[in-house]
Amino acid sequence: MISHRQANAQRIAALDERAEALHLKRGMGIADARAMHPSIDVVEADPEADRRLLESLADWCDRYTPLVAIDAADGLFLDVTGCTHLFGGERAMLDDILSRFFHQGFDVRAGLAATPGAAWAATRFASDRIVPGGEEEALLAPLPLAALRIEPDIRASLESVGLRTAGAVMAAPRAPLARRFGTSLLLRLDQALGRLDEAVSPRLPVAPLSVERHLAEPIMLTDELERLVKMLATTLKVDLERRGEGARRLALLLFRVDGAVSRIAVGTSRPLREPLLIQKLFHERLAALEQDIDAGYGFDLVRLSVLSAAAFDMQQADLAGETHDDGADIALFADRIRARLGESAVLKPVAVESHLPERAVATLPYAEAPQRVSPPKKPDKIQDTSSTPVFRPERPIRLFRSPEPIEVPATEMPEGPPMNFRWRRALYRVARAEGPERIAPEWWRETSGPEDAPTRDYFRIEDSDGRRYWLYRQGLYGASQVPPRWFMHGVFA
Amino acid sequence: MATSAVARETVFALRRQIAKIEGTLPERLEAPAGAAPVDADVTPRDLTIVRRGLAVAPPDAFLRTGAEGLDTALSGGLPKAALSEIHGAATRDAGVVAGFALSLVSLILKQEPPRLPVLWIGTAEVFREAGFPYARGLHGLFGIEPEQLLFSEAPRLLDGLWVAEEAARMTALAAVILEIRGSPQRLDLTATRRLHARAQSAGRPVFLLRQAGEAEPTAASVRLVLSAAPSAPRQTLAGPLAGSIGRPAFTVSIGKSRTALPGQFTLEWNPDERNFEERRAGEERAANPVPVVSAPRRGKDPAAASGAVLAFAAVGSPAPGDQPSPSERAAHRRPRRAG
Repeated sequence: MISHRQANAQRIAALDERAEALHLKRGMGIADARAMHPSIDVVEADPEADRRLLESLADWCDRYTPLVAIDAADGLFLDVTGCTHLFGGERAMLDDILSRFFHQGFDVRAGLAATPGAAWAATRFASDRIVPGGEEEALLAPLPLAALRIEPDIRASLESVGLRTAGAVMAAPRAPLARRFGTSLLLRLDQALGRLDEAVSPRLPVAPLSVERHLAEPIMLTDELERLVKMLATTLKVDLERRGEGARRLALLLFRVDGAVSRIAVGTSRPLREPLLIQKLFHERLAALEQDIDAGYGFDLVRLSVLSAAAFDMQQADLAGETHDDGADIALFADRIRARLGESAVLKPVAVESHLPERAVATLPYAEAPQRVSPPKKPDKIQDTSSTPVFRPERPIRLFRSPEPIEVPATEMPEGPPMNFRWRRALYRVARAEGPERIAPEWWRETSGPEDAPTRDYFRIEDSDGRRYWLYRQGLYGASQVPPRWFMHGVFA
Repeated sequence: MATSAVARETVFALRRQIAKIEGTLPERLEAPAGAAPVDADVTPRDLTIVRRGLAVAPPDAFLRTGAEGLDTALSGGLPKAALSEIHGAATRDAGVVAGFALSLVSLILKQEPPRLPVLWIGTAEVFREAGFPYARGLHGLFGIEPEQLLFSEAPRLLDGLWVAEEAARMTALAAVILEIRGSPQRLDLTATRRLHARAQSAGRPVFLLRQAGEAEPTAASVRLVLSAAPSAPRQTLAGPLAGSIGRPAFTVSIGKSRTALPGQFTLEWNPDERNFEERRAGEERAANPVPVVSAPRRGKDPAAASGAVLAFAAVGSPAPGDQPSPSERAAHRRPRRAG
């Protein structure tokens, strides 16, 4: 028996058959129930855990149809349009669902109808019933008003005027009903009878393409999984070729015998359709997830879905029948590393127009970075001047992610370079210095006002051993009460 | 004495056999100083073997640095299809080590017309401690376009090594740089041997940059130890500009090589021409009357090598002035077998 707190009193939220046999009811106070039967076992309700369980069940139901929606706290909608023949018809499918749930230890009721409303009513008020299309009215007529999925207060006021079954409501004239009880009642009625369409919004986006394989004998080994992935990818290739597309995101769904579902996704930087390459990507992903994937008693259904696809450009092979594209090799290499080490494992620098050194280069994950963009053609006149810059400031070859503060005891001139400095607890003597190069904050950006980021004066420094550093002084002497601070920003070759 | 001479003969003969099979240069053999005259009859044969070794290796197997002294010391340059180690004594030398490796990459890119990308793999620790490569600076100094660069930041060393192994066998990359800090146990002979083998089969160089690491036995055929050298002042029309910081300069010493003798060289990188220029002690004085550039760290004039240390006349031996004293020679420079 499960209790929950409602209106400041512990009440029964859910109860099992044996408790029902004791004439306990939902909504009854726990104190009353204990007074009647002191030996009952009460557990606090945990709606979060219930939700998680329902979601994992919804994942599992993915094996029947990709369109699974969660209904309130205790129901699932499965849109099985076009799926039933895969399981041997509606009755066989319903039996399969019920028996599998039963073996997992769930007490489930199911109904099947042409509209979500009728199916809902069939499930809750006429268990295990399959309602053929057009017979929704016959199903609903004898059922109580609760079968119409309406608000409790509407239900109460309908009952108060003597309309106690759905059939009575259907027989009543529509206009007065709408006037008195609002349009939601008629909306629910129409939806249940199929006069209005009702959309079931699936939890997960539906993959444009997926292939799956039901296995008579569950598989456990990663090698077998990979082989299966290749088989599925071979099937997928035909569909992709027909559509002229290649996969950009792929997901592998592993349905474990005991109901757990693992979802493994990989991304590609170029549209891909070659089975061997898809297998390679999943090989890396599976290797990385080796600890996280528990095969348990094995997987009995494996599905490979294309989550997103893009147009695939065919490549012209040369006479020897070989296409050689280094870019494709690198894209595959980057994808494999990404599959194993995560999105940002391969980075590509992109030059950005900015004065601030740390903003002048953005490093993007390989898949997101623009691929080999040639600079836009400029008119010849302008190109001449732009290709030979008058002044090319020297920049360090390594830049610290965040400038490291250094101690500068003394400078020769107030605005000049330091004579020595202390960085990472070591003292450096400055042999030569060049600078300053003043870099002002970018005032046109909203985030960095002049107060937040003072002017920086950069110096190239060579220490007594010949190492070259890039230091800057933040702020000016005498400009404000705060003394300027020194930072190490990069190192030169 | 006679038995030992016979034994040495046998060893030499076996090494020649191995060199023939491998198609590589045999090690330059060091004979005990006292036994030099005994080798007189061996020398001609050894010389032919050396030549044969060179003939077997394709002429473009070496990356010529352009610095005459270093190239001859390495008998032709750095091996192109191999793992090479570049060491820096401390993390603060990261700029110098990376700069030298990138200038080598720049030389490779200059030779090869297709613009292949360069992959730089580092552990998160290295990039945090030594700074992340800055594409603007690399473009300005080495002419490597940002779109030719790929970085891989591995959370752990194991991942970094895996990425490097996968990258080393790709022919679509111009070069692979693996940067590691300290002396981790994972980076042992086996790991480096795998990298070396893949680099050899792909025909691409793999540079192993090591910051603040010990010189350990690895499969790399060449180990260069880098330290910073004070740069020459900027050249202007009116002569050198006093107090300015000119082109980057490196002090390169050969820590390990199967063909070269240890030596120390000061190279200067010319970012405009994208080549190395070697700086010699004498020239430096002549070009810069003001001694702004300090003499090499190990003293003004390194002592010349005492006596003949070669078992045979070398095909191209470094200038005697570049050779360090015998005390500087690392212990592992004794004759050793492959691997």
